[in-house]
Amino acid sequence: MLTLKELLITYNHKYNSIMSTYLSNISETLISGKGDELKKLIESAVNDGANPGEILNQGLLPGMDAVGQKWKDGDMFMPEVLRSAKAMSNSMDYLRPMLKEGDMGNAGTMVIGTVAGDLHDIGKDLAAMMFEGAGYKVINLGIDQPGESFVNAVKEHQPNILGMSALLTTTMPRMGEVINSLKEAGIRDQVTVIIGGAPVTEEYAGEIGADLYAPNAGSAVEITNEFLQQAQ
Amino acid sequence: MISRTNYTTQQSPHFEILSENQKERIFNGMMRTLQYTGAHVHHEGARELFKKAGCKIDGITVYFPPELIQQALASAPVVTEIFPWDGDDSKKITIEKKRSYFGPGPTPPNFIDTDTLERRKYLRKDASLVARVCDALPNMGYVQSLGSISDVTNGLADVYEFADMVRNTTTPIMSWSFDRNGCRDIHHMGIAMAGSEEAFRHKPNYVFYGEPISPLVSDFHAIDKCMYCAEHRIPQVYSPCAIGGGTVPASHAGQLVVALSESMVGVIASQLINPGTCVIIGGVQSILDMRCSIYSYGAPELSLLSAALTEMVHYCNLPMYSTAGCTDTKKMDMQSAMEASLSINAAMMSGANFVHDCGYTESGLTGDIFQTVMDDELIGMARIIEQGVEVNEDTLAVDVIHNTGPGGHYLYEDHTMEHFRNHWMPTLMDRNSYEAWEEQGRKTMKDRVIEKTRDLIENHEGPINKVPAKANEEIEKILEQAEERIAQTA
Repeated sequence: MLTLKELLITYNHKYNSIMSTYLSNISETLISGKGDELKKLIESAVNDGANPGEILNQGLLPGMDAVGQKWKDGDMFMPEVLRSAKAMSNSMDYLRPMLKEGDMGNAGTMVIGTVAGDLHDIGKDLAAMMFEGAGYKVINLGIDQPGESFVNAVKEHQPNILGMSALLTTTMPRMGEVINSLKEAGIRDQVTVIIGGAPVTEEYAGEIGADLYAPNAGSAVEITNEFLQQAQ
Repeated sequence: MISRTNYTTQQSPHFEILSENQKERIFNGMMRTLQYTGAHVHHEGARELFKKAGCKIDGITVYFPPELIQQALASAPVVTEIFPWDGDDSKKITIEKKRSYFGPGPTPPNFIDTDTLERRKYLRKDASLVARVCDALPNMGYVQSLGSISDVTNGLADVYEFADMVRNTTTPIMSWSFDRNGCRDIHHMGIAMAGSEEAFRHKPNYVFYGEPISPLVSDFHAIDKCMYCAEHRIPQVYSPCAIGGGTVPASHAGQLVVALSESMVGVIASQLINPGTCVIIGGVQSILDMRCSIYSYGAPELSLLSAALTEMVHYCNLPMYSTAGCTDTKKMDMQSAMEASLSINAAMMSGANFVHDCGYTESGLTGDIFQTVMDDELIGMARIIEQGVEVNEDTLAVDVIHNTGPGGHYLYEDHTMEHFRNHWMPTLMDRNSYEAWEEQGRKTMKDRVIEKTRDLIENHEGPINKVPAKANEEIEKILEQAEERIAQTA
């Protein structure tokens, strides 16, 4: 006969081993970008009593870190990274209500959009997905957005990041105008502004008073996170 | 002369990517896409036009019935000519199947400064410079600016560019504009150079470039400008930049289907408005680099897709706007030469009508006139291959071979005098002996490209002093009015 203590130890041991298998499977499934599989895996982990905070911090986040590293090293490509990012963002939607304070789970909030007169959205959408994948709550305003919609969204959602993109040299100045509108509304200091788009340069970002510039959607998250860490 | 039945004296190289069956399937893919997926058209007037012609409309989506597409293709012209404004027909462009004209490309924000060789914003002075240099380059069949002017009133880069360029080259220009206003200003400048509206209609002196957004979106200004050009019978390009794996399928056949469909919206609009007006399609066809997230201008897929699309566009009996001579490099180097060589040769073999982007570097973000000058040399070389081998009694030269006999030489033969000038003569490639090369300063290709470009900038005046005073006055007036227009809207 096992004592109660021994039983508990055995159970804990088993539980830990089941959980660690879950967590490593979650990481791997996230890296491989299999969204449906990941969802099932997380659901059954939760049903088996897994701690949502652990799933996030020891399963998903290490998985996304690995994705980031693989992307940097050229071992993963854009469509693969996007699949992982999407899977991550869907998992977060599922886990968020179960997370406790201190479990992280929200890297921040971002408002993103393409400025007025510009209907180009692929780069902006890629960036939005990458931010979602990194744990940001993203409010994607869409294309052809007038200045006031950016200002209103900043007021309403209180994001820490505002992302804007333009693909046309004619619409690029609209990004500077949005920044000026934020100043006029007295809310410029509340957000870190990051801009991008094919004709946009770091120099241009400086000229119009944006905080950050990303040469492509893939690097935007890293640039933002580094900036935020330094700012802290 | 001995006559022979069904004998071709000159066979140029035969280069084909697609079989007849493949072309048919891609064409049908386009028909299905336009009929069942449709395209977004952000222009009420255009949607009205399509509706009247039998298209189904749902919000901003327009669905095109196959018979309307066939009808548009049937009314597009087989041949169109573009005339240099000074009347010198040696630079005339004939737009018909398998005639290739190479040129630079439009609108990158940056330019390689010709003094410092560093990247900087594109300035107004660069437009004249590009026009003048291209005016002197024998293999640049038409001219684009290689940039978007940053130091004029915002919204007038298009108009200033044309005003400056048209007076600095007689080589026909391919212009672009932000909207209908710019399109009209440029048209009026074209008329000023032609002498009258009637003269321009009879002998158009430029081509207009417009671009829908991939995938399958015609924004207001794109289709509005297309309609303006059709109304005034201005030869125009309506072609997208399709990004394989990004805005279009990653499979090449799928890319061709979407790219064709996007352009076809402009073809149908133009032919409905003015049957027989010239419309050129095609565009940049390349892939999204999934590692660096850039639209690659040096990828081999660019050449493959461009050549395949050329076949598709010719299958539709339309002229093709293709791409070559461009690179992903930031500075002139071996990569830029390698990528340009391959793409220029493939474009030449494909027989595309207009081949643009000679001088595009940094994946289309920086214009580099040095690259254009290097490309000019490459185009000359590719043309030799494209011309093939002429075979007749004279070129077979059996009599000359007999007269010279074994062990002789041909240097003193009249036949040699008659033919040796057909050999291509380099202007940049080094064929010196080691000693001569050393004596001339051990120059590399880069040194020679810089030297030739700077020499042209310094010494080729261009036609600026030949521009009729009246045309000059009118152009200045158009610029003033454009400034007033912008001031009023501001």
